[in-house]
Amino acid sequence: MLERPDGADLLATAREVVLQEILPALPEPARIQARMVAAAIALALREREAEGEAALRAELAALTGAGEAQAQAAFAAAIRAGRFDPGTEGHGAALDLLRRMARLRAAVSAPRALSGG
Amino acid sequence: MDEAARARLRDWLAQAAGDPALGITEMAILSGGAIQQNWALDVTLRGAPARLVLRTDAPAVLAVSHPRAAEFALLRAAEAAGVTVPRPLFLCEDPGVTGRPFFVMARAEGIAAAHRVVRDATLGGGREALAAALGRELARVHRIRPPRHDLRFLGEPPEDAARAMVAQLRARLDEGGVPRPAIEWGLRALERAAPPPVAPVLCHNDFRTGNVMVSARGVEAVLDWEFAGWGDPHQDLGWFCAKCWRFGNVAQEAGGIGPRQAFYAGYEAEAGTAVDRARMPWWELAATLRWAVIAADQAARHLSGQERSLELALTGHIVPELEWDAIAMAEGL
Repeated sequence: MLERPDGADLLATAREVVLQEILPALPEPARIQARMVAAAIALALREREAEGEAALRAELAALTGAGEAQAQAAFAAAIRAGRFDPGTEGHGAALDLLRRMARLRAAVSAPRALSGG
Repeated sequence: MDEAARARLRDWLAQAAGDPALGITEMAILSGGAIQQNWALDVTLRGAPARLVLRTDAPAVLAVSHPRAAEFALLRAAEAAGVTVPRPLFLCEDPGVTGRPFFVMARAEGIAAAHRVVRDATLGGGREALAAALGRELARVHRIRPPRHDLRFLGEPPEDAARAMVAQLRARLDEGGVPRPAIEWGLRALERAAPPPVAPVLCHNDFRTGNVMVSARGVEAVLDWEFAGWGDPHQDLGWFCAKCWRFGNVAQEAGGIGPRQAFYAGYEAEAGTAVDRARMPWWELAATLRWAVIAADQAARHLSGQERSLELALTGHIVPELEWDAIAMAEGL
């Protein structure tokens, strides 16, 4: 129903303008700002494309036995209380889920971290 | 700073320096921290030009940082211990002069910007030499031991610096109000593996690439003392070496600057005591988690509307990378 190009296309195009045309014309202190603008646009684009958050939320709710809205807090509190320490029944499942949550979060915020860089 | 404030500052400096003819020739804000403002201050003092820095609080001040008077006392203590610092000169606690307390110190010349420092292998006589020199500087910081009347604002040393760190980070997470399971995972791993306490020393608590000014000659100044406190010397060693403070140059394990062994060797030669290698993974994980908590707090300032800033907003997005690293580091404890 909405007109194209869509938001993702516009953001990507705007980012190219910032990097290719605006940045080279700026004095050095302002270049840092322009690089931050480009980084923010790239991040927002990755966030739009991120997949799997809903499934992870559901898994987290199942693991903690809390509702989806409270599951993060319940997981954090359970970890602090030692309920998922090594040697406990839920340790392996908790670590596996935690890794997949961290991978999704890093894929949006800092994808280079995942390639070992 | 308006003309009237500048005139009051001149008068105050003239009296503090004992030179009625002191003149301010130039005053410009330097790229400063989120917590402090630094002004480059050029004056004529007894007829000769002097290059100074005026350091004052930024409008939004973190509760965990020390006020200017305390930072001034820390700089004096560090200078007396032989640490290379900008010489502390005058402290003004009267907010009537510029609007906020400030102090004035000598202006060190060199490069602090972390991305430039880690890329330039010629600074300080090369990577090994610079890493060793930084190790020596840190050992001198750690010569400052409690009790110290001049540093009494630091409070009593923690009985157990490691457990105190875990408790402090949990308290800050709770204050932030955002549940962070990955950080909790790391903190719980730290709690299980906490090393026994050692005799406390003065820890700089932000001794890292970016907070040391260096030049071709070597270390020019150890900066940013506002988080200093009593603790385990390994908390500074771990902060410096943690992967999150290597600015992309991860192979150089001492702050992205040089080899870890050179840094340790410099430290040990100056300290006369060994770095306890077994403690380092613990404190490097603690460093990663502490930076994650600080980064989350910075983004919270943006999110709350207290200080809308793209830089603070992007700092929050460092947290997931730190979590990713912390989960792996916790496995290795």
